[in-house]
Amino acid sequence: MNTTTPAEAPVFAVDGLWKVFGPEKAAARVPGSADATGLSATELRERTGCTAAVRDVTFDVRKGEVFVVMGLSGSGKSTLVRCLTRLIEPTAGSLSIDGEDVLAMDAGRLRALRRHRAAMVFQHFGLLPHRTVLDNVAYGLEIQGVGRGDRRDRAAELVAKVGLEGLEERRPGQLSGGQQQRVGLARALAADPEVLLFDEPFSALDPLIRREMQEEVARLHHEEGRTMVFITHDLAEALRLGDRIALMRDGRIVQLGTPEEIVGSPADDYVRDFVRDVPREQVLTVRTAMRPAAAGEAERGPALAPATTVVEAIEAVARSGGPARVVDHGRCLGVVDDAGLLAVVAGLPATPGRGVAA
Amino acid sequence: MTATRTHTPPGTRPAGPARGRQSVDRPAGPRTAHTAAAQDRPRRPLAALAARRAFLVPMGVAVALLIPLAVVFPGAGSWPAALTADLSGPLGRAGDWIIDHRDSHPLFLYFFGHISNAVVVSVRAVYVLLLAAGWTGVTALAALVAWRLAGIRLALTCAAAFVACGLLGMWVPTMQTLALMAVAVAASVVLGALLGLAAGLSPRADRVLRPVLDTMQILPAFAYLLPMVLVFGIGVPAAVLATVVYAAPPMARLTALGLRGADAGVMEAAASLGATGRQRLLTARLPLARRQLLLGVNQAIMTGLSMAVIASVIGAGGLGDRVYQALASVDVGAALAAGIPIVLLAVVLDRTADAAGRRIGATPVPAREQHLLRRVFCGWYGRLLTFLVAVAAAVAGRVAGSSLWPGSWTVPLADPVNSAVAWMTGHLYSGVPVVGGTADWAARFTGWILDPLRSGLQAAPWWLLLLLACALGLLAGTWRTALTAVLALGAIGALGVWEASLDTLSQVLAAVAVTLVLGFAIAVGAARSARAERLLRPVLDVCQTLPQFVYLIPVVALFGVGRAPAAAAAVVYALPAVVRITTQGLREVDPAVVESVRSLGASRSQLLRQVQLPLARPALLLAVNQAVVLVLAVVIIGGLVGGGALGYDVVLGLAQGDLATGLVAGAAIVCLGLLLDRVTQPAKED
Repeated sequence: MNTTTPAEAPVFAVDGLWKVFGPEKAAARVPGSADATGLSATELRERTGCTAAVRDVTFDVRKGEVFVVMGLSGSGKSTLVRCLTRLIEPTAGSLSIDGEDVLAMDAGRLRALRRHRAAMVFQHFGLLPHRTVLDNVAYGLEIQGVGRGDRRDRAAELVAKVGLEGLEERRPGQLSGGQQQRVGLARALAADPEVLLFDEPFSALDPLIRREMQEEVARLHHEEGRTMVFITHDLAEALRLGDRIALMRDGRIVQLGTPEEIVGSPADDYVRDFVRDVPREQVLTVRTAMRPAAAGEAERGPALAPATTVVEAIEAVARSGGPARVVDHGRCLGVVDDAGLLAVVAGLPATPGRGVAA
Repeated sequence: MTATRTHTPPGTRPAGPARGRQSVDRPAGPRTAHTAAAQDRPRRPLAALAARRAFLVPMGVAVALLIPLAVVFPGAGSWPAALTADLSGPLGRAGDWIIDHRDSHPLFLYFFGHISNAVVVSVRAVYVLLLAAGWTGVTALAALVAWRLAGIRLALTCAAAFVACGLLGMWVPTMQTLALMAVAVAASVVLGALLGLAAGLSPRADRVLRPVLDTMQILPAFAYLLPMVLVFGIGVPAAVLATVVYAAPPMARLTALGLRGADAGVMEAAASLGATGRQRLLTARLPLARRQLLLGVNQAIMTGLSMAVIASVIGAGGLGDRVYQALASVDVGAALAAGIPIVLLAVVLDRTADAAGRRIGATPVPAREQHLLRRVFCGWYGRLLTFLVAVAAAVAGRVAGSSLWPGSWTVPLADPVNSAVAWMTGHLYSGVPVVGGTADWAARFTGWILDPLRSGLQAAPWWLLLLLACALGLLAGTWRTALTAVLALGAIGALGVWEASLDTLSQVLAAVAVTLVLGFAIAVGAARSARAERLLRPVLDVCQTLPQFVYLIPVVALFGVGRAPAAAAAVVYALPAVVRITTQGLREVDPAVVESVRSLGASRSQLLRQVQLPLARPALLLAVNQAVVLVLAVVIIGGLVGGGALGYDVVLGLAQGDLATGLVAGAAIVCLGLLLDRVTQPAKED
């Protein structure tokens, strides 16, 4: 989906980040100690009186991607996203945005970061109940000191952009949950930030509305290509939105990869358990299912792009009645046949000879 | 709300917002907050309860052993003289020193003197302004403000109330009270807001202020009078400052509560947008707390009115003074003529402040859907217009030559009331067939309940009472509670007012018992029938609004003077709070539990005994605590109508300029208040 070259500097570079809650001195000792690496969360709490919410987390967020952090409640994902703008102060590690050290920023720089570079959307919206929709959207600009007229104009644009025209003068209390989150989204967009941080933004919404909002976010990302860090506990949401997913457990990242990597080759039993019920054919692409083309096969059959999902390939194969070719820029990478596709659906391990290196 | 300082404030309870109207409308008296805070704490685990029960057994054995011992040594009754510290000498000297140096010492010249002058000047200014506006101006302004805030009904109520004050011939005293109150309330709102801001923003300030505010809220109003008199002498400054000190704690508490209760999500969102500390406070934290702030202002107004009336004892003047003078000569008619304006003022102020509070968070009606007249009066422009109309009314009144209430328009109330009271005295006091007369009731209550209780308490050995206080303290809370209780009771003894305090205590206990029996009975009825509650609600609303002082008027009319009427006034004063808390507690019992018990075929009484009452236990305990605190406040004031004991000592101290007696009695009141509050305060763990 995105075409990042490795040379480009990451938006967020997180290296060995720790957040330990507890008495300050005791907490500062935890990172790097033997306790921290060896013990489980409960043991650590008993031993030191501290809770390690984020443990030695390392990742990069590349420009323009949707980076999803996913995990169950208590896995430390919400703490992690708050550490990115130091709404929660990390205990140890390093963190930089566009190469600039966030942990070294003074209060003024940090405020500037929050005002202009990274805006956040919250699970419970965090709207001001006494202000109208328009004033809520303009709130961030007001904090920046933008004049009343300018900020209201800009807010009106964004209200329209998130599809809330006509509701400008309502109060948050008069809106549905989905509408409130649209206000939250518009408020975050108002400052035109470089990165959008989402903290489980749709968890409090009904399934249908959630779907609608996910599409809205996907649309916004498609239109603007803004970098997004997205926290969720919903695997389907993570797979739908994420370019890359970091799966967290007990404060650690257990696997970091594309949706296909997570579903196709889980790093351990925990992840395997996690993704067991995922309809693999909807996530995995034909790359996983293809085999080298036998003689003559490279010329016949329908052509599929490498990013085609298995479910789409099944349709093509079923229609044509024979194997389909996987073609990238006019070159045939391999073919998929019904046996290979069914193996993916059945969850069988890739047979030797399949999975041609792309 | 309620002047009576009761109930739970909104927001402290987990179910805050969900309680909707109830919590918005009449959430709370300020006094409530500490008990509500206690409710907030996690319920004590069952194991701890069981442990406490087990601990009770030895205590019971000890008491059983000690009582015969007490009977064997009957002389051990009163507090030993050896353990008494006679403070009247030093206190008297201190009082004399202050009186002597009031005009010369720099502390008075440059500090208290300025405060005193500022108070006098501002009260005077407001008073002159009110008189200049005349009855037309004041009435028009009140009605317009009420109309803008709530609508035509409240506007008419306001206008009618002020006209009634005029008709009763009480225009000038009403304005005096209003002026004094306005200054005092403004000062207490500012003071309370500042203290609340400190407590709301700094945990350390909160730790320091909370116990102080908690304690201030349980003290009877009378306890505040003498220290003020000591410093400022009898007069308006002392009255205003006593009112300020009395009315500031609720404001401070509610401000702190509101600031602390700000939605963490919103605060975090503000921080995530890069707001500075000041921006977060001004654009998020304060606006989020505005409901509590307004509630605090409302409470300050109601407690301020209550105190402004009581402070007539130390020279406040105005309506309270008229009631005070009339009660002193048992002139019920004159007392009623001054009492009615107090009631009207309380109702009107409460309703208006309530309406202002309710507008917050309500959906604003779009301008085009409003009535034309309302549209004209909305916004800043409307405020100016309101003011101008009021000025026009004032000028019109002046031109018509009736800026003060015209003397010929008054309706004499005192004489007919007095003849009615005389008739009552003749026909209802005694000898009514079957039921007996009111005086008979009072005599019986005194003879059969108050006297035995008092002599029982006074005959009981002092150490037995200390032990009892300790046991009750341990029962209600921790060893700290017990320690406070014992120290408070010990201090009473050491101050040398053991007998008088036990006299007061006996009245409190008797009145509390009556209050709880009546209150629980009414509440059970009201919780059962929605209709009964609907009928009861407006009555309770009005009752809880009224200043303590006015309850003395009807009981004097009915029962004459003495200890029984004082107790009766206390019962009437505390009853609404008890009924309200209990009803609410019973109604809030988890409907799912009630339903499941019903489905098992439980009868109504089974349901009440086995489910509703046990589950409403926290509310019942809160009701007991409120009853004790409220009853004490009025029993003390009952000293004005022959209640004797501590209240009388305070009044006597004031009347005779014998500050030492008064101050000692005041200190004893404080100790008694602490004792009674602590041993009834439920579940104060850790």
